[in-house]
Amino acid sequence: MYIILLFLGFGGIVLFEAPGLIYQKYWRELIFFFLFLGLAFTLSLLAVIGIKLPSPAEITEKIVTFFLKPLSNLF
Amino acid sequence: MKLEGGQISTSGLSFLLICYIFGSTIIIIPGREAEHNIWLAYIAGMTEGLVFAFIYTTLAQRFPQKTLIEINDLIYGPILGKLISLSYILYFLQLTALILRDFGDFFRGVLMPETPLVVFILFSALLGASAVRNGIEVIARCSIIIGPLAIVTSILVTLMLLPQMKITNILPIGDIPLKDFIKASHTVASVPFGETIAFLMVFAFMEKEKVKNIRKLTLLTIILGSIFLLINIFQTACTLGKIAPITLYPTFTAIRLINIGDVFTRLEALVIFAFLGLGFLKLTVSYYGATLGMAQILKLRSYLPLVLPLGVIIVVTSILHFENTIENIVWTSDIYPYYSIPFQIGIPLLSLLIAMVRKLPKQKTGSKQQQK
Repeated sequence: MYIILLFLGFGGIVLFEAPGLIYQKYWRELIFFFLFLGLAFTLSLLAVIGIKLPSPAEITEKIVTFFLKPLSNLF
Repeated sequence: MKLEGGQISTSGLSFLLICYIFGSTIIIIPGREAEHNIWLAYIAGMTEGLVFAFIYTTLAQRFPQKTLIEINDLIYGPILGKLISLSYILYFLQLTALILRDFGDFFRGVLMPETPLVVFILFSALLGASAVRNGIEVIARCSIIIGPLAIVTSILVTLMLLPQMKITNILPIGDIPLKDFIKASHTVASVPFGETIAFLMVFAFMEKEKVKNIRKLTLLTIILGSIFLLINIFQTACTLGKIAPITLYPTFTAIRLINIGDVFTRLEALVIFAFLGLGFLKLTVSYYGATLGMAQILKLRSYLPLVLPLGVIIVVTSILHFENTIENIVWTSDIYPYYSIPFQIGIPLLSLLIAMVRKLPKQKTGSKQQQK
């Protein structure tokens, strides 16, 4: 059910932005628009289906604790 | 074609800065490990924040009318500069996601617990996207209205809480180990004040004659905003005392206690409106920074087509970050102050030193003009 909403939402975004870009002949902007939109679509599709994506918070936590472990031994 | 044609007035910049500092600080109150000494931690954190602002404004005045991306290009050269700018864009995207998450958690936890989190985040992001599409001048003018409203509301709340405040809740003063105090004050410096790095994208659009005033204006505004913030923190610490570190949203819990003559009770909803405006402005500024930066790296002629796709990415990232509110608060207190050090202190300080050593920006004319 949510996937239909997703498609509708992204269809709405394309309908909103693409005609303006095509009319102004901003081809470079159109390419990057669809690139980012494709990335956003992939991410949100994976999130809606339920596949667990890595959380940036977990990644930063691993990095910070890795750096801070030797320092915490000093105190 | 210029990416952004708008120009910000001095009052627009000041109120935008004040709203940005107030933004999510008033809700989540970083630095609460200091318990009843939180106001001392805030004074120390504000001083550190002033140092940050000094670095950022010196960079902004040295390279007038240039955003962070262009400054990085000039200082580090084309390739390394683009790499650093890209990491800053990712940082701004994450910052916007975190701000959205903070506000979604707050409204969901306090106002409407049954609503799914994604609804709050989606609609706030939609509002932010419409504001970003209109440009920075409109955002600054919005803040001129919302800023005074928020300040007046917070002062009114403090006055109404006077019967509930007990100065003895502050005592004993300073009985905190130095290590914890430094950690708490650095958390305070990184969450509201260090995030003003996003303003390096905004300073470029000041009117050209006012560029000389940027540093004085910013420092004065930060001091003024900090005083208002300090009043609120003092009020929360005096009212709640030992309970403050345990509650999820200390300021909100304090506002629940307002009771004047049995008539003025249950005033939380009124204050939430002010907080909503502040959050909206904070998220809009960082969203704008990310979008404009991405458009400048890719050398596009307009940043408008990037607004909505980046918005969807921000919404998804925001939900992806944490499972629940507690993870959010713990991550912001423990990990974020250290994770943000390279973005808030490391790279700007390095940029400033390199710019001073290489005597950038190079003057095209023969005379050497020392820009201070």
